[in-house]
Amino acid sequence: MSAAAAVVTAAEKVDGFTRKSVRKAARQKRSQGSSQFRSRSSPVEILLLPPLKDAPNAEQHDLFCQKLQQCCVIFDFMDSVSDLKSKEVKRATLNELVDFLTSNRGVLLEQAYPEIVKMITCNIFRTLPPSDNPDFDPEEDEPSLEAAWPHMQLVYEFFLRFLECPDFQPSIAKRFIDQKFVLQLLELFDSEDPRERDFLKTVLHRIYGKFLGLRAFIRKQINNIFLRFIYETDHFNGVAELLEILGSIINGFALPLKAEHKQFLMKVLIPLHTAKGLALFHAQLAYCVVQFLEKDATLTEPVIRGLLKFWPKTVSQKEVMYLGEVEEILDVIEPSQFKKIQEPLFKQIAKCVSNPHFQVAERALYFWNNEYILSLIEDNSEKILPIMFGSLYRISKEHWNPTIVALVYNVLKTLMEMNGSLFDELTASYKAERQREKKKEQEREELWKNLEELQLQRSQALSGSLQINTHNVENAQSSKSSAK
Amino acid sequence: MDRKRVGELSEGRKMIGIETQGASSKILTLVNQLNVQLEQEPKYQPRISGLKAIESAHENGIRMTVRLREFEVKDLLSLSQFFGFSTDAFVLAVSLLDRFLGLMKVQPKHLCCVGLCCFYLAVKATEEEHSVPLASDLIRISQCRFTVSDMMRMENIILEKLRCRVRGPTVLDFLRLYHKLILNCSSSERKKMLNLERLESQLKACNCRFVFSKTKGSILALSIIALEVQTQKLHELTETIENLQQHSKISDHDLFHWRDRVAECLAEYSSSRCSRPSSKKLMWIVSRRTSGQLHSYHRITPLPTIPETATYTE
Repeated sequence: MSAAAAVVTAAEKVDGFTRKSVRKAARQKRSQGSSQFRSRSSPVEILLLPPLKDAPNAEQHDLFCQKLQQCCVIFDFMDSVSDLKSKEVKRATLNELVDFLTSNRGVLLEQAYPEIVKMITCNIFRTLPPSDNPDFDPEEDEPSLEAAWPHMQLVYEFFLRFLECPDFQPSIAKRFIDQKFVLQLLELFDSEDPRERDFLKTVLHRIYGKFLGLRAFIRKQINNIFLRFIYETDHFNGVAELLEILGSIINGFALPLKAEHKQFLMKVLIPLHTAKGLALFHAQLAYCVVQFLEKDATLTEPVIRGLLKFWPKTVSQKEVMYLGEVEEILDVIEPSQFKKIQEPLFKQIAKCVSNPHFQVAERALYFWNNEYILSLIEDNSEKILPIMFGSLYRISKEHWNPTIVALVYNVLKTLMEMNGSLFDELTASYKAERQREKKKEQEREELWKNLEELQLQRSQALSGSLQINTHNVENAQSSKSSAK
Repeated sequence: MDRKRVGELSEGRKMIGIETQGASSKILTLVNQLNVQLEQEPKYQPRISGLKAIESAHENGIRMTVRLREFEVKDLLSLSQFFGFSTDAFVLAVSLLDRFLGLMKVQPKHLCCVGLCCFYLAVKATEEEHSVPLASDLIRISQCRFTVSDMMRMENIILEKLRCRVRGPTVLDFLRLYHKLILNCSSSERKKMLNLERLESQLKACNCRFVFSKTKGSILALSIIALEVQTQKLHELTETIENLQQHSKISDHDLFHWRDRVAECLAEYSSSRCSRPSSKKLMWIVSRRTSGQLHSYHRITPLPTIPETATYTE
């Protein structure tokens, strides 16, 4: 490995140790190939067929199907020199098919559906190869990109146009886009290539939208993927994209919410917060959670309690994310719901505010810059002030970071103006408590000092009496001897 | 004991109406202290004409007004609470501020500096050396926009104008003294209910209100105690209060008037009404990292909603 590594800025070196990616920078990146490709004894060539726009109407459909079949041939992109001509032919053909579908009506005859689906299936359904990099860190490392993307992109594009075509008939398509198809589609979400996942996201969104009969199945499968991710593998690259789709689904839920959906929230979405790679999909996850709460406010209490249960204890970055999510939730919370969770929540916030990691403390203190949250706190200051007071007062004296101390001043000042008399009471009792503790400390020290002195006295007395004894013995002996 | 002392002793006894013989010398000391303070008091009063000018000023951004002074004092109270200073520091700061404002026409834009300097002078006069914060820290925490050298210059101006009369008998000194006298003179068992800490917080609340700057500290202190005695129904202490009132030469009219004002002020202070918005909006400075992560979820452009009971069409 060469020593020349990419320049790492001070901001990236959070804890002073260089990132894995820096060490691996010298390693050459290989793009992954399609596992579907098997080496052939004789090269397959495809010949360019006449353009569709020039074909007479009667023959257009057949030509269309022929071109589709041509595109079922897969080429090896790992080998950058083989089949160049044929690859180009396929690319041009795919392009043409996309345009043809977009600009013409009446293309989608019933016979076309199976051919189209077959072409798509051939090109995109494949077993994803194992990751090039077993410690792939999605935040740090460059993803392995799909080698066959020049063709695959067009296939996805075609797929999308197919689904969005005004002539598209789900009643016909459902014979070919069935559960087996959807299952294979979902597996592709684990692709490392973000461009592919982006297409898949839109494709699945349309499929969910148009095929009412597949919806329950899709939801169930997503459930399974997430549960496997949370409890078994801790690995899946498409969580963010699936969550985005779910966001649009949740947004469309009818009221009252079905029990199945509420179960999903509590059993899948909340535990999803415990994943190690939360940073990759937290924004989308928070969006889903907030959408749920906007649909049914009574879910607020279980959601907050769930988050508190899983509150990060060792990963500060995660704590900051959780605080962000709590703020989004508080932004839409109903005052009656707020009352139910204020005590356990602010106990946690009090801990965050005194966290030695300055980002956590900062994020928690920043809540007091939110007008709506302030109004909620004000309405419930009798309950909240006593919870926050101790931590705030203590860190105003003890925190190492001056920015934090300045923010604490803002918060204390705001609280003081909210409820001056309560604040005075709390200050007085805090000071009294401190006095009591100091007194106890002093008493304890006194006690130890006294014990030490007592021990000293005793040991002196003991040695003194020993001396007397030995002296007596000596005297006795000498008197004995002298008596002899 | 020579005759003069005996005379004074009997004076003291007559004035305060003591019942226990043994406490007389202590009481005598306290009474002497009271006399000294009462004599010194006028030198540390703000000039009434100056205060009246503030009262009648309009909010035009050029003149000092009651509202501005009250906001500044509130800020000083917050600072005092934040740093954990004793009540002495706050009360002295307010006294210095009111005295200065009574003498000088201060523009609103300088009020922050004047207030903070008075505060700093008070802290240096009342707190132990190791508790005194750095001037730069004070400026940073209070989010004021002047420099340490500005503050030093202002300090000199204040000291000059006040003729270096910093530490005089404040309303807090009177409060403590009256409280001690009552505890020593009264034989009531319930006198302990007159809690000094409670009285001190009430005093702080009163200090925030400009109206109380116009009266003598001794009158305000006794009014606060009188109100508390009334509220707690400690009627057996009323006679002692009256004696103190006579000795301090406070008229009935004054005492009742100010006692009612104190009652109003405290009622307002403990009501749930919040005193926001304040004149100065607080600055919330966060680190670059944190500011980059705020409201991250608003950056997602969501996919179009799919209704639960219908198909989705573009």
